[in-house]
Amino acid sequence: MNWTSVGIFGLAATLVVGAVVTGERVITRQDRTDRVTVIYWEKWTGSEGEEMRKVVNAFNESQDRIFVKYLSISGIDSKTRLAIAGGNPPDVAGIWGDQVVQFADANALTDLTELANDKGLDENYYIPAYWDGYVYKDKVWALPSTPAAIALHARPDLLPPEVATPETFPKTFEALDALVEKISVQGPNGSLKLAGFLPSNPGWWNWAWGYYFGGQLITGDKVTIDTPENLRAFRWIAKYTKKFGSQEVQSFQGGFGNFASPQDPFMSGKVAAEQNGVWKANYINVYKPGLEWFAVPMPYPADRPDLKGRSNLSQDVLCIPRGAKHVKEAFEFLSFVQKQDVMEGLCSAHGKNSPLAKVSEKFFDTHPNKYIRLFDQLARSPGAFNIPKVGVFPQISNEMNVAFQEVNSEQKTPERALADAQQRAEIIWSTYRKQVLAQ
Amino acid sequence: MKKDLRIGLLFALPWILGFIIFLAYPVLASLYYSFTNFSILREPSYVGADNYAELASDTVFHKALINTLIYAVGAVPLSTVVAIGLAMLLNTKVKGMSYYRTIFFLPSLVPMVALGTLFLWIFNGDYGLLNEGIRAANLEPPNWLGDPAWSKSTLMLISMWGCGQAMVIYLAGLQNVPVSLYEAADLDGAKLGKKIWNVTLPMLSPVILFNVVMGIIGALQVFAVPYVMFPGGAPARSTYFIASYLFDNAFQYQRMGYASAVGWVMFIITLVLTLLALKMSDRHVHYETE
Amino acid sequence: MGKRKQIQTALTHVALILLSVVFALPLLWMLSTSLKPISETLTTPPKWIPTEVMWSNYPDAINYNSKQLGYIPFLVYMRNTVVVTILCIVGSVTSNALVAYSFSRLRWAGRDAFFGLTVATMMIPFPVLMVPTFTLFRYLGWVGSFKPLWVPAFFASAFSIFLLRQFFRTIPMELSEAAKLDGCSEFRIFTDVIVPLAKPALMVVALFTFMGSWNDFLGPLIYLVDQNTFTLALGLSAYQTQHGGTPWNLLMAATLLVILPILIVFFFAQKLFIQGIATSGFK
Repeated sequence: MNWTSVGIFGLAATLVVGAVVTGERVITRQDRTDRVTVIYWEKWTGSEGEEMRKVVNAFNESQDRIFVKYLSISGIDSKTRLAIAGGNPPDVAGIWGDQVVQFADANALTDLTELANDKGLDENYYIPAYWDGYVYKDKVWALPSTPAAIALHARPDLLPPEVATPETFPKTFEALDALVEKISVQGPNGSLKLAGFLPSNPGWWNWAWGYYFGGQLITGDKVTIDTPENLRAFRWIAKYTKKFGSQEVQSFQGGFGNFASPQDPFMSGKVAAEQNGVWKANYINVYKPGLEWFAVPMPYPADRPDLKGRSNLSQDVLCIPRGAKHVKEAFEFLSFVQKQDVMEGLCSAHGKNSPLAKVSEKFFDTHPNKYIRLFDQLARSPGAFNIPKVGVFPQISNEMNVAFQEVNSEQKTPERALADAQQRAEIIWSTYRKQVLAQ
Repeated sequence: MKKDLRIGLLFALPWILGFIIFLAYPVLASLYYSFTNFSILREPSYVGADNYAELASDTVFHKALINTLIYAVGAVPLSTVVAIGLAMLLNTKVKGMSYYRTIFFLPSLVPMVALGTLFLWIFNGDYGLLNEGIRAANLEPPNWLGDPAWSKSTLMLISMWGCGQAMVIYLAGLQNVPVSLYEAADLDGAKLGKKIWNVTLPMLSPVILFNVVMGIIGALQVFAVPYVMFPGGAPARSTYFIASYLFDNAFQYQRMGYASAVGWVMFIITLVLTLLALKMSDRHVHYETE
Repeated sequence: MGKRKQIQTALTHVALILLSVVFALPLLWMLSTSLKPISETLTTPPKWIPTEVMWSNYPDAINYNSKQLGYIPFLVYMRNTVVVTILCIVGSVTSNALVAYSFSRLRWAGRDAFFGLTVATMMIPFPVLMVPTFTLFRYLGWVGSFKPLWVPAFFASAFSIFLLRQFFRTIPMELSEAAKLDGCSEFRIFTDVIVPLAKPALMVVALFTFMGSWNDFLGPLIYLVDQNTFTLALGLSAYQTQHGGTPWNLLMAATLLVILPILIVFFFAQKLFIQGIATSGFK
């Protein structure tokens, strides 16, 4: 026998065994033996993740039967889907509220209706617009972790004094446009230095513009993208590109720093007003403390005062995937998070508003966002709206993003972009109804 | 004879199994799935040729297909020319050849993700190194990442930068060209250009064919760099490729059946293009062993 | 040397120098950025030499734990990548050697046809295989573990089989025949005659497998779930999260660290690497 061969073979075998064992160790669920282990996957990292960890720790300390294990997962939606498909899902998943319907349609969630009713977590406990995001086809599929509302943020130092307060800032789109004309600064070669406002910033809610002009994406059973109201919204978007010049807008956008940094366009003074969420205050406090700013409701078209006070809502929610090993225990954790003091503590730390119908004065007084009352008001107003409740929202949102980009870069006219998006969405929606909902 | 067969198959067993489990089964299974609606959370349900019919009228798929073809048509010739050019330069036995060779080869070792991240940094419209350089030359730099007209070019440039592996193959091929042929050409009074056209390229043609075919196959599957640099195919789906659409359908929209159909169309296109290349090569490629 | 030759050589030099600058530039820029303090990463015009060489960026990138981005366990990612890569290398070298032996040193009916088929499979685009392979691993319950990343390596691959077969064919049959006369079994011939002679080619297969596994992005993207199980290629994207001002200097440092092992291996095994690629190009 060739000894070097034996030596090499032995080494290889040892390596393999060692590697496999190490690999397996990394993967295990690592369940505790003394308590029921609930695996909780959440999308948050950084300080937001830390705050949720605190809640988890509080829950673990408050009783001794259940231990919640918090794991930070990137790409939480697709990973959760794959885990459910793989038969090994987490017990609690922190997905986005926008995905509840899609998951429910795909039979990926555990029905929480009975459990929620038992604990009194019903439509009276929550703000109606938020509650709407947990219910689909008369069943409860998720409960909130932190909700949010959107408003227009402005920097008084970049505004002429006559409009530099919440009371005097433009209320209609027309007035906003006029202001932008006045204060935007372009260099001699056309390059943008200061944009009063840019619809493409931050560009996270391109599906919602039509709603501010009275349109809707889905009405009843039909796709209603190509409608006069949505067209009006997109024409308004196109106006901004025309005003500044497509090249200039693109270069300008290209230089925007990350939103969680001092190079954020609002914080670095590249834009004077910005559509953003209730959490913005937190980021300003961290990256540009001392910055003067205020928040007002998003504008409305001057001829449609009925659209005053609109705000698109979003939520982070907690759900229990289908096939979770410890449903009862997982729900105990969920209801712990729903307690008023816990929920308010978490939302306040995240700089967001609370989804509960009842809210304490302490919440308002100690909240890091000095305009929290405004956001709370917006969430309770009849003008608050959610995403359309269809399982194909991710695809439709994509189509609206593309339509927005096409109009913003002058690749298509608003009419063409919306017509194409309408056509695409109709196909997506009808295929979905045929293939998924019929099952 | 029987014993030989047994031993032969025994040694080849890992591949036989691998072939069945990881190639034959998936290919057939994906063909089956392409005729179903398969959300992975439920059992596949048969839908006949609906997926293919949908593909035929799917404007996003068409866009992805066109994007992919444009990219292939741009990236493959570009990389080929650059790789051959570099190889020819290196073949001149200049001093320090091994250093140059290393520098040209190095970028192809970098993982796709790192490439994507690095170039996000370099191609940034505002503070990226490239545009700073262009501005320094008093030219108006394009917005590589944000302008739909330029995004694909960005990807093509990146692919050219990673042509080190092909270059090395060409270099080896060049070194196999018999010097006698060049000497004969010199006797005929041929200039450099004629020598390249009549001696170098024909002798190199089998290698060119191999690299072009591999290049086409690779270009049609482009995924990782666009995924990292241009999420969602932004801007305006200009960098959305077939592989991206397949991935999104499989893992974002829960439509694995549809994704399989996309995969098969991709497969057929790859086959067709490869066969085309091989057919065309009959006339242009010169094999020494004929 | 004739005048014309001199000009040609000079031009060649110029061209080579310019091109090598173009090729080396991005990597040099990566190095430069990795040594800058964060404030200098976004300056216009760009600075090449940082005012303060921040070697600390490297340990900082490894021990990344910030309020903004959270905890990125670089060393954990490295351990995971090493585990998977070792398994892939061992599996790949053994299985490919065995199979290539069969295709080159053994005679059996249908051998060449099967080999032709093997080469043809290199044409199958990976996306076609992606979905069914995923469902297969799901059925086995392996999603979320490392197994989908290394088990296939033990079943050989067309490219490596091709490479090794070409090489094995260059070893004279007389050696095998002599061993057979000595009463060796085929397996003994394989281990005692062929493998020692084929060390360079086996090294090349090991190198390619190393590169492929170290850089693999799609596999981990699909199969790995818990952030603590990520490999380096996948983990790099964590630095670039939407939730933090991207720390470009640390990201470049981390990227360089990820590339470093490959660079080191390449540096020492250059000739082997290039020889291996060159021989694989011939049909």
